[in-house]
Amino acid sequence: MNWLNDNVNVLALMGAAAILILTIFVVGKYMRQMQNDKSSGELTKDNWDGIGEYKNPLPIGWALSFLGTIIWGLWYFLVGYPLNSYSQIGEYNEEVKSYNTHFESKFSNPDKTTLMGMGEGVFLVQCAPCHGVTGDGMNGKALNLSKWGNEDAVVATILNGAKGSDYPLGEMPAGLLDAESAKAVAAFMFKEISEVKNTKHPELIESGRALWATCAACHGDDGKGMAGSSPDLSTYGASKFVVNVLGMGKKGMIGNMPKFNDGRLTNVQKLAVGTYVNSLSK
Amino acid sequence: MQEKNALNYDYSVAKCFTYATILFGIIGMLIGVVIAYQMAFPQLNYLAGEYGTYSRLRPLHTSGVIFGFLLSGIFATWYYVGQRVLKVSMAESKFLMVVGKLHFWIYMITILTAVVTLFMGISTSKEYAELEWPLDIAVVVLWVLWGISIFGLVGIRREKTLYISMWYYIATFLGVAMLYLFNNMEVPTYFVSGYGKWYHSVSMYAGTNDAMVQWWYGHNAVAFVFTVPIIAMIYYFLPKESGQPVFSYKLSLLSFWGLMFVYLWAGGHHLLFSTVPDWVQTMGSIFSVILILPSWGSAINMLLTMKGQWGQLKENPLVKFMVLASTFYMLSTLEGPIQAIKSVNALAHFTDWIPGHVHDGTLGWVGFMTMAALFHMAPRMYKRELYSKKLMESQFWVQTTGIVMYFSSMWIAGITQGMMWRATDQYGNLAYSFIDTVTVLIPYYALRATGGLLYLVGFFMFTYNMYKTMTASKAIASEPQNASPMAA
Amino acid sequence: MFHWLERNPFFFAVGVFLVVAYAGVVTILPDFMESARPVVGTKPYSVLELAGRQIYIKDSCNACHSQLVRPFKSETDRYGMYSLSGEYAYDRPFLWGSKRTGPDLMRVGNYRTTDWHEYHMLNPKSVVPGSIMPAYKHMFKNNADIDTAYAEAYTVKTVFNVPYDKPDMPKLGTFDEAKKDAFEAAAVIVADMKSTEVKEAFKRGEIKEIVALVAYLNSLK
Ligand code: HEC
Ligand code: HEC
Ligand code: HEC
Ligand code: HEM
Ligand code: HEM
Ligand SMILES: [Ca+2]
Ligand SMILES: [Ca+2]
Ligand SMILES: [Cu+2]
Repeated sequence: MNWLNDNVNVLALMGAAAILILTIFVVGKYMRQMQNDKSSGELTKDNWDGIGEYKNPLPIGWALSFLGTIIWGLWYFLVGYPLNSYSQIGEYNEEVKSYNTHFESKFSNPDKTTLMGMGEGVFLVQCAPCHGVTGDGMNGKALNLSKWGNEDAVVATILNGAKGSDYPLGEMPAGLLDAESAKAVAAFMFKEISEVKNTKHPELIESGRALWATCAACHGDDGKGMAGSSPDLSTYGASKFVVNVLGMGKKGMIGNMPKFNDGRLTNVQKLAVGTYVNSLSK
Repeated sequence: MQEKNALNYDYSVAKCFTYATILFGIIGMLIGVVIAYQMAFPQLNYLAGEYGTYSRLRPLHTSGVIFGFLLSGIFATWYYVGQRVLKVSMAESKFLMVVGKLHFWIYMITILTAVVTLFMGISTSKEYAELEWPLDIAVVVLWVLWGISIFGLVGIRREKTLYISMWYYIATFLGVAMLYLFNNMEVPTYFVSGYGKWYHSVSMYAGTNDAMVQWWYGHNAVAFVFTVPIIAMIYYFLPKESGQPVFSYKLSLLSFWGLMFVYLWAGGHHLLFSTVPDWVQTMGSIFSVILILPSWGSAINMLLTMKGQWGQLKENPLVKFMVLASTFYMLSTLEGPIQAIKSVNALAHFTDWIPGHVHDGTLGWVGFMTMAALFHMAPRMYKRELYSKKLMESQFWVQTTGIVMYFSSMWIAGITQGMMWRATDQYGNLAYSFIDTVTVLIPYYALRATGGLLYLVGFFMFTYNMYKTMTASKAIASEPQNASPMAA
Repeated sequence: MFHWLERNPFFFAVGVFLVVAYAGVVTILPDFMESARPVVGTKPYSVLELAGRQIYIKDSCNACHSQLVRPFKSETDRYGMYSLSGEYAYDRPFLWGSKRTGPDLMRVGNYRTTDWHEYHMLNPKSVVPGSIMPAYKHMFKNNADIDTAYAEAYTVKTVFNVPYDKPDMPKLGTFDEAKKDAFEAAAVIVADMKSTEVKEAFKRGEIKEIVALVAYLNSLK
C-alpha cells in the first residue's frame, strides 16, 4: 500500500509517535526527580487541612514554553494566518485540479485492461452495495448483472417488457414476441444493430431481420432509439448503454436504480464501470 | 484555630454520593462494555429488542458515565473536600444539610429518569446534552442547589483563603451552568402548537449555528466535567495522601487562570473543515496547542509534589493511581492538541482515534482519580481501614492493562480507518468500499472491548474493596493524618 | 492581587465567569446571522420527513453516521458535493455527528433508494455482508408520530419564521391538511416497499416508522 505517499497520513503517524515519545520523555523526567531529588523550598504560611504549599518558582521550561506558544499564537492569528489567506474550499479546488490534470493526461486514452481495472474499483465502491460484490444482484434485490447485456437478456426483455427510465415512449410492453422469435431478433440485433457485431446464433440473423419491424416501431429502423424516445440499442452490450443508465436511473420491475449524475463519476470512470459491467455477462 | 477542638465533619451527603458514584459507574461502564462488544459482534444488538441496539445504548453510556458516575464522584468529593479545606462542618448549618440532602435526591431522581427516557429513545440528539427539556429543568434545579451548597459553605467558612481545589470546584459550577443553559435552549412544541408529545422540543438554533453552540458546549463539557473538577480532586487528595506540600503556588495560579482563559477558545477543533467560518476553526487549532501548557502545568505541579517520594509510589497504591492519572492527563492533553492540528484532524476526525483519545482521558485520568479519591475518603468516612491493599494492587494492574489495550487498539483502528477512507488505487479511484473499512477494524474492536472488560472487572474489584471497607474492615481509632491505612 | 481574589469569593467567581464567558461571545456571536442564511433551493422538511428525522434522532443514527461532507476529494468522490452552511438552515438540531462508524448520510438520497433502505433497515447484512449496523425491525412495527412532527413544523414556522406555506415552499396548512399530505407522500413510499405488514397497516391508516424514516433518508440530497 502507498499510504506513506500521502503527507497527511505521515503527519498523523508522526503525531501519534510524538504523543508517545513526548509523554514518555517528560513523565520520565519527573519520575527521575521523584526518585532522586529532595523536595525543598520555602513554605507559604497557608495550610489547608494539613496541606502546605511551597513558594517554588515556575519550572523554567514550562514557563518559557507557555510564553512561546502564546507569542506564536498571537503571531499566527494576527500575521501568519491572514498572510496565508487560506481557504478550505480553495484548497479543495486545488486538490481536484491537480488530480484532474494528472488523471486526464494519464488516462485520456484508456485501453481495455485499464478500463477493466478502473471499472472494477468503481463498481466495488459505488455499485456493490446494491448489485453485490459479484454483481449477482443479491437474490433479486437489484439487477443480476451477470445475466444482463447479452442476447439472453434481450430475449428476457422482449418477454417481460421494460420500464422505469422515463423515456418519452414510456414502457416497453411484455410479450411482444414469443420466445423463439425473440431469440432470432436478439441474434439480429447483436449482429447488425449493436456495436457488439457478433452473435452466438448467426443462423437466426435473417429470421430476426424479418421481425425487426416490431422493434423499429419504437427503437427505429437503425435501433438508435429515435432521437432519445427509447433506448439506443446500438450501444446495447457496450459500455455506452450503461453510461446512459447511470445518467437516467431506472425504476423498474425489481426496484429502483439511482441516477449517478451528481458528478461523483467522471466520464472515463462511467465508461470504465460500463466495460466492467458488460464483462460480467460474457 | 488549631487541632484543639477538632471539627466533626458531616459526611452523610458525601456518603450518599459515594454510593451513587459506584452504582452509576457500574451501569455506565457495563453499557460501555456492551456497546464495545456490539461493534465487534453485532448479534449482541438483539438482546433486548428495540431497547438493546447500539444506538439506544451509546447515549446511555456517555450520559451514564458523565452525569451518573462522574458527576456524583464530583459531588461526593465536594461534600468531603469542601468542608475540610474551608474548615467548617455541614453539621453547623441545618440549612446546608437540607440543601445537600435535597441536592442528592433530586439528582438521583433526575438521573434515574434520564436512564429510563434514554432507553425509550427520548433524546434531542445533541451529544452529551441528549436530555429533553423537563429533565433540563431538573438539571438546572439540582445545579442551583449545588451552587447554594458551595457558596453557603464558603459564606460560613473559617479558612479565609480559598484552597486551589476550591478554585476548581467554583469554576466547575460556573462553567457548566453557563454552557448547559445556552446549549439547551429549546422550544417545547406542544405548548406552541397544541399537538403531539408534550415533552418534545425543538432547538433554538439551526444548522451551523447549532453546531457552534453545541461544540462550544461539548468541548467545554470536557473542560468543566472531565478536567476542572478532577484537578480539584488531585490538588487535594495527592498532597493529602502523600503528606507533601504542593510544589508551587505560582504554578498552581498560572495553570488555573491559563486554563480558564484558554480552554473556552478551543472548541473550534471539533468543527474543523466543517461549514463554520474558517477563522473560528483556526482559532480552535491555535488555542488547542497553547492549551498544552496550562494543562501540563497542573500535572507537572502534581508530579513535582511527589519529588523525592519515589518510595511512596511503590508502597502506596493510592499514590500510584494518582500519579498514573496525571500521566494519562498529560498523554491526552498532548494527544488532543495534535488531533486539533488541521491536517491531522483531516485524518483523525470521525475515526476511532477520537474515542481512543476520549478514553485515554476518561479511563486513565478521570476514572483513576475518582476511584483514588473515594479510596482515600473511605477510611475517614467509615472510620475503618481500607479492606485490602493487595486487591488494590491487582486492580491497578488489571485496569492499566485494560487502558493500554483500549488506546493502542483504537490508535491503530482510527489511523487505519482514516487512511483507508482516503486511499486511492492506481487509477485515482477510491480504493476501498466503505464496508471494507469496517470489516478490517473488527479485530481491534474486539481487543478494545476486552480492554474495556478488564477495566470493568477492575471497577468491580474497587466496588468489592469499598464494600468490605464500609462493612467488614478493621475499625480505626483516630483519623489518619496522611497515608490511608490499609490491610495487606 | 490574586491572593486578594482568593480571599474574596464573590469577586473570584465574577472573575472566573468573565474569563470563561468572554471566549464564547467573541467566537460564536459574530457569524451567527451569516451562517443561518439558507442556500438557494434549500427547503424546510415536509411533515413526513420531519417525522422520519425524529425517528433518526430517537434511534440515535447520529451515533454512527455523520451528515457533513468535508471538502476533500476522497469525500466528494464517496458522498458527493461538500456541505455548504446554508444547506443546514432548517436543521434543528443539526445532525453532523462526530463519528463515522457507518458512512456519511448527508446526500444518501442521491444514491440509495426506498427498496434498498427497506432491505437494509430490516437486515443490513442482507445487502452489505459484514455490516455491523444493527437491524431496526421495530421500525416496521411502531407507528410514526405525525402529530409531533406537525407540532414541530408549526412551531418552527411560528417561532422562527421557517417559510412553510410561502411561494415555492412546502405547504403546511392546518393539522388536517398536513396529515392528508403526509399520507399522500407516504403512499408513494409504501408503493415502492415490499413488506406486506407495512402495506396492510397503511391501508388501515397507519404510517409505520420505517416509511417516515425512508422519506427522510430520500430527502437527504
Ligand atoms: C412500445 C415501444 C417499444 C417496442 C415495440 C419495443 N421497445 Fe424496447 N424499449 C422500449 C422502451 C420505452 C424501453 C426503455 C424502458 C426503460 O428502461 O424505461 C425499451 C428498452 C429496451 C431494451 C433495454 C432493456 C434494459 O435492460 O434496459 C432492449 C434490449 C429493448 N428495448 C429491445 C427491444 C426489442 C428487441 C424490441 C422488439 C422485439 C423492442 N425493444 C420493442 C420501448 C419499446
Ligand atoms: C441503490 C441501489 C443501486 C445502486 C447503488 C446501483 N444500482 Fe444498478 N440497479 C439497481 C436496481 C434495483 C436495478 C434494477 C432496476 C429494474 O430493472 O428493476 C438496477 C439496474 C441496473 C442496470 C440495468 C439497467 C437496465 O437498463 O436494465 C445496470 C446496467 C446497472 N444497474 C448498473 C449499475 C452500476 C454500474 C452501478 C454503480 C455505478 C449501479 N448500478 C448502482 C440498483 C442499484
Ligand atoms: C453501530 C453503528 C450503526 C448504527 C447505530 C446505525 N448504522 Fe447505518 N451503517 C452502519 C455501517 C457500519 C454501515 C455501512 C455498512 C452497511 O451499509 O450496512 C451503515 C450504512 C448505512 C446506510 C447506507 C449508506 C451508504 O452509503 O451505503 C444507511 C442509509 C444507514 N446506515 C442508515 C442508518 C439509520 C437510519 C440508522 C438509525 C436508525 C443507522 N444507520 C444506524 C452503522 C450503523
Ligand atoms: C489540551 C487538551 C485537549 C485538547 C486540545 C483536545 C482536543 C480534542 C480534539 C481535537 C478532539 C477531536 C475532535 C474531532 O475531530 O472530532 C477531541 C475530542 C474529545 N476529547 Fe479532547 N482534547 C484535550 C483533552 C481532553 C481530555 C483531558 C479529555 C477527557 C478526559 C478529552 C475528552 C474528549 C472527548 C470526550 C472528545 C470527543 C468529543 C466528541 O464526541 O466528538 N479531551 N479533543
Ligand atoms: C469500561 C470501560 C468503558 C468502555 C468499554 C467504553 C466503551 C465505549 C465505546 C464503545 C464508545 C463508543 C465509541 C464509538 O462511537 O466508536 C464509548 C464512547 C464514549 N465513552 Fe466510553 N467506555 C468505557 C468507560 C468510559 C468512562 C469511564 C467514561 C467517562 C468517564 C467514558 C466516556 C465516553 C465518552 C465521552 C464517549 C463518547 C466519545 C465520542 O463521542 O467520541 N467511557 N465508550
Ligand atoms: Ca436538552
Ligand atoms: Ca462523539
Ligand atoms: Cu474539545
